Amino acid sequence: MTAVENPAPQQEDSPTYRPSTIQRLLPFAVAAVVPFILGSTTENVNFWWKALITVVVLAVVARMAWVWTPRGELTHREDMRLWRTPSDRSWAAVTTFGLLVLPFILASDFTPPMDFPWATWFAVVNLVLIFAMGAAAFNLLVGYSGQISLAHVAFLALGSIVGGIVGVQWSGGNMWVALPAAALAGAVVGAISGLPALRLKHLYLLLATFGFHFVMMLVWREYLQEYFGFVGIRFKGENSPRIASWLHWLPGIDPDDNGEFIITGQFRWYWVLMPITVLSILFMVNVVRTREGRAFAAVRDRDVSASLLGINVARSKLLAFALSSAVVSMSGVLASFYIGSRGEDSFNVQTVLNYAIIIVVGGFSSIQGAIFGSAFFWFLPEWFKWAREELWIVRDIDFLSDYPSEIDLAIKGFLVVIILMFKPDGLAGLWKDVKGWIGRSLARRGP
Amino acid sequence: MLLAFGNFTADPSVNLQLLIGGLALGAIYAVVALGFVLVYKSTDVLNLAHGEFLMLGAYFALTFLISENLNFFLGVFVLLLVMLVFGLLVHYGIMRRMVGQGFFAIVLITLGIATIIRALLLIFYGPTERARLDLLPQGSFEVGGATVRYVDLIIFGVVAACVLLFFIFFKYTRLGLHMRAVADDIEAAAAMGIDPDKVYAMTWAAAMVMAGVGGLLFGHVTGAIDRSIEAIGLRAFPAAVVGGLTSLGGSIVGGLVVGVIEQFANGHLGTKWREPVAFSVMFVVLLVRPTGLWGRKDLERV
Repeated sequence: MTAVENPAPQQEDSPTYRPSTIQRLLPFAVAAVVPFILGSTTENVNFWWKALITVVVLAVVARMAWVWTPRGELTHREDMRLWRTPSDRSWAAVTTFGLLVLPFILASDFTPPMDFPWATWFAVVNLVLIFAMGAAAFNLLVGYSGQISLAHVAFLALGSIVGGIVGVQWSGGNMWVALPAAALAGAVVGAISGLPALRLKHLYLLLATFGFHFVMMLVWREYLQEYFGFVGIRFKGENSPRIASWLHWLPGIDPDDNGEFIITGQFRWYWVLMPITVLSILFMVNVVRTREGRAFAAVRDRDVSASLLGINVARSKLLAFALSSAVVSMSGVLASFYIGSRGEDSFNVQTVLNYAIIIVVGGFSSIQGAIFGSAFFWFLPEWFKWAREELWIVRDIDFLSDYPSEIDLAIKGFLVVIILMFKPDGLAGLWKDVKGWIGRSLARRGP
Repeated sequence: MLLAFGNFTADPSVNLQLLIGGLALGAIYAVVALGFVLVYKSTDVLNLAHGEFLMLGAYFALTFLISENLNFFLGVFVLLLVMLVFGLLVHYGIMRRMVGQGFFAIVLITLGIATIIRALLLIFYGPTERARLDLLPQGSFEVGGATVRYVDLIIFGVVAACVLLFFIFFKYTRLGLHMRAVADDIEAAAAMGIDPDKVYAMTWAAAMVMAGVGGLLFGHVTGAIDRSIEAIGLRAFPAAVVGGLTSLGGSIVGGLVVGVIEQFANGHLGTKWREPVAFSVMFVVLLVRPTGLWGRKDLERV
């Protein structure tokens, strides 16, 4: 599958080129180090200078990763790398740099022109991280493995339940124990919820998993009423996660006055959420490249043929459900602790629709699309809110400011319809088109 | 739970009341399920927007019959005509381009349509809830200690009439034959000179008209008309599945069965058990007999 999407460079005539190990790692090292140097010099340097340095480093890193890529005759090992073409390696280096430099940019106080909502963006970025993780897992199940399921919100609720039991009731705010517990519970319950997939397909599977959604909602409500009552679970305050005292020697962690390091505020949360999201997305990208991942695709395309090829179809389907549900449950735990409280109406049918909107807009059956989709889903309302208040002409239309949330909803609906009608592979497909267009126009100019 | 089952036979009139309430609810489910079945039978589309179509029907009924104060029959005629136009709009504007796309893409596009309808209704009608319709006779009579409302009887009659009408339509008219042919094999039907496009357009129009009827009827029995009534679309899924997604008569039987089961769960176990019990019934039916009671079986070839 990867071979089709991402063909190896056709350079039989070009000479073999092998960068040294230092050359291969240097761009990533620069991308990893420079943000912290930039971030530690907060007072002396002007914001615009920092922005300029950022852009220059971005270009340099991309160029270094582009040039120092193995070319010509590739060994099998090199051919199997996740990032092997110059473009892949450049994007990986740029993404590394961007993810590390972003919190420093967002945390610096800066007033963009036209009152662009700088302060709220950090919160949106953190939500995007959580949702990208859940949506990518959902896409792995629905798009890549072809097991149509509407039960993913049930697993967010499961994550909140496990977070409530393990993280709040047993250990008083220990998210680090709740995360693996939720992954385990999600895998087991996910495999159980996948049992109908052994017998049902398409529409009927969708309906069966939707039934599971309602059963899980009942469990969630019962659990809430049994232990927490009407107000819901509080994941903030005394229950907010913290770094254990034996880890306080780590760089960048200086405890507050009471000797604790509580994870609160957008900046600290970013450093928790970003690594977890990146690792889980890398995990899913790699699952797709293994034998099991290729078996998922084979079962999706035609399960009878897949079984003739020697794939254990039942095992493959259940594994897809278990993997996806485990990651979704983990994102449920993260969302609970990040948002801080979960009540009776935190999960409903609209949440299911939101995830569907995310993966449609981002691009169906593409993990990259899940990231684009959740970014779009969270930034669109913020941007639209800003446009209603500040953008000239738009701010004068009373109709828009009278019905803010309704128009957001309508825009989301229209987007889903338009994208499905005219661009079924969504933003990820658009991105691929743009990349191809840039590449072609560069190639046409030639050296 | 056992205690709750313990008073199952405590008072026969309670159970009779639950049975009658369940049948009334089931009649509504049957109306909604009929809309699902119509669309699924001839276009193979699972229309998740049907609850929103119904909400559209209920709000239009409010406009034409209450606000504009039209004569009842004229108002209903206008309502159904407008819904028919909306059905054609849905087909020619959106669904027509989706023919031949993957199954999940089509399900998601109906979700998109649902979102649009919900947003537009919120914009044009506002979030305030309206009093329910009161155009059909409101009285009730007693049977063996249980109350039966006239409205429920009327709903039941209308559903039965609609099913009969569609049954005759599918069985004996030329367009109905075309619809069945297209549902069976679209390419073969097109080769025989049937225009699938026209057939699909008619199907969506019929489903929208059915949603108009459903909205009109449901508007009489719901607590109040507001944005939450679209939930009936999802709650009627078990009914459609139990009856079989391709069976017109099955939608009535499925609706009544699920309605009664839900009411008994509601009465003896508590309100929160309604949806889980209904969807569990659907789950069991799906596992045992995925095509429902009278659904069409599809064969698959490699």
